[in-house]
Amino acid sequence: MYLSIATWLIVASSALAFIYILRRAYARARDPKPDPNDAVHYLYPVDWALLESLLDPATDFALRWSLDPRALRAERRRRMRLYRELVRRMAHNSSVLADFDDALFADCHLPRGPDSKLRQAIIKVRFYCAGVRLKLGVWLLLPDAFGLVLTPDLASLRKAVEVDGPKAYDELRVAAVEAFARLRPNELEALTRGL
Amino acid sequence: MSSLLWLIPTGLLAVLLGLMLRGRAYRAWPWFFSYVAFGISADVARFASRNYPRPHYFIYWLTDAGYAVLGALAMYEILRKVLRGLAGIWWTHLIFPAVVAIGVGLSLWRAQLVPPQVHGRLLPCIVVGEIAVRFVQIQVFVGLVGFIALFGFRWRQYPLGIAAGFGLYSTVALLITTRLSDIGTRFTFLWGIISLVAYSVTVLIWIGFFSVPQKEQPPLDPKVAKHYIALLERYLNVLRRTR
Repeated sequence: MYLSIATWLIVASSALAFIYILRRAYARARDPKPDPNDAVHYLYPVDWALLESLLDPATDFALRWSLDPRALRAERRRRMRLYRELVRRMAHNSSVLADFDDALFADCHLPRGPDSKLRQAIIKVRFYCAGVRLKLGVWLLLPDAFGLVLTPDLASLRKAVEVDGPKAYDELRVAAVEAFARLRPNELEALTRGL
Repeated sequence: MSSLLWLIPTGLLAVLLGLMLRGRAYRAWPWFFSYVAFGISADVARFASRNYPRPHYFIYWLTDAGYAVLGALAMYEILRKVLRGLAGIWWTHLIFPAVVAIGVGLSLWRAQLVPPQVHGRLLPCIVVGEIAVRFVQIQVFVGLVGFIALFGFRWRQYPLGIAAGFGLYSTVALLITTRLSDIGTRFTFLWGIISLVAYSVTVLIWIGFFSVPQKEQPPLDPKVAKHYIALLERYLNVLRRTR
């Protein structure tokens, strides 16, 4: 009986995957493709200095010395929310670049392979963002229970799911610059401003 | 006429092979290319031996084993390509072995509960292996679709095309093969017809994907890359100082 359930679950998940692909193909056929000329304006700038300061263990150490436990917990939660916003922007930018990448290469009639540098950088960043958002979501869900539950420090989030987030995002920026240098050199400045 | 019907997938596979040769897809997808080439030769061998029951019997089951092995290798190829960017993450190397272990486990579990109703020593192993590969192919397909949904992967890509084809065929074949395993060779005729239709649709999916050539990004001139990366660094430095 358990085997039948497992088999049917696998078959049903396959059917659902097909429905998803068909729905996506239909949506793609109906909706116009994103205009590559507009995509850079959808990027949200990521404040690199803020990101580094949030992930800096020394800052956290200094906070621990200068604040009482209650204020430290509140400050750490504030920093978590800030970092969540930065990570949201990183994820958003990576998906904008993915659409942009598609649109650019659709223009050139050169659909991309899965292992293009930009695409792999996008996957890495999204992988990291998914892991961090999950962790932050759980951490922020934990009640601020009078110090009974420890508030973790953000420095541990530099690496999530084995991916170094800032490094991956930097790689994404370099890959995006390379791609844009080849295809949209006059939009490089707008891109660097947006990322 | 009915014999010729069996050659429809072979003709479609020949078209696919031509498309792959034209697009030089064999360089990026050697195992899938081998699968397609093997498929054509296996079908021709099966067709040529159809009037000789004993050789046909052996050819049929041996080519079935070949399909299963090459199908599994094609799945490995897909995962390796898709996860290349995450190669630094140690556990991504465990995904394929884990998927295979689940497939083999489910197939062995099934074989223990419902022993395959085929005779000989080799045939039950082939049926068990075939069911295991079907499970693997469906898992890879579902995983890849999940990957696309989560990570914004482009949908019209060769890995998805290959996995979608295998996913469709495996979903149909898994149900049918398990029925064959339960009922025995009495089910062979119906298995053949449904399998023919599903396989033809599968090859059409592959043709649809491979009809659009995918070229890798040409390498950027290192001097130009260096210049633009330096430009980006300068810009970021200015940005940092102004904040």
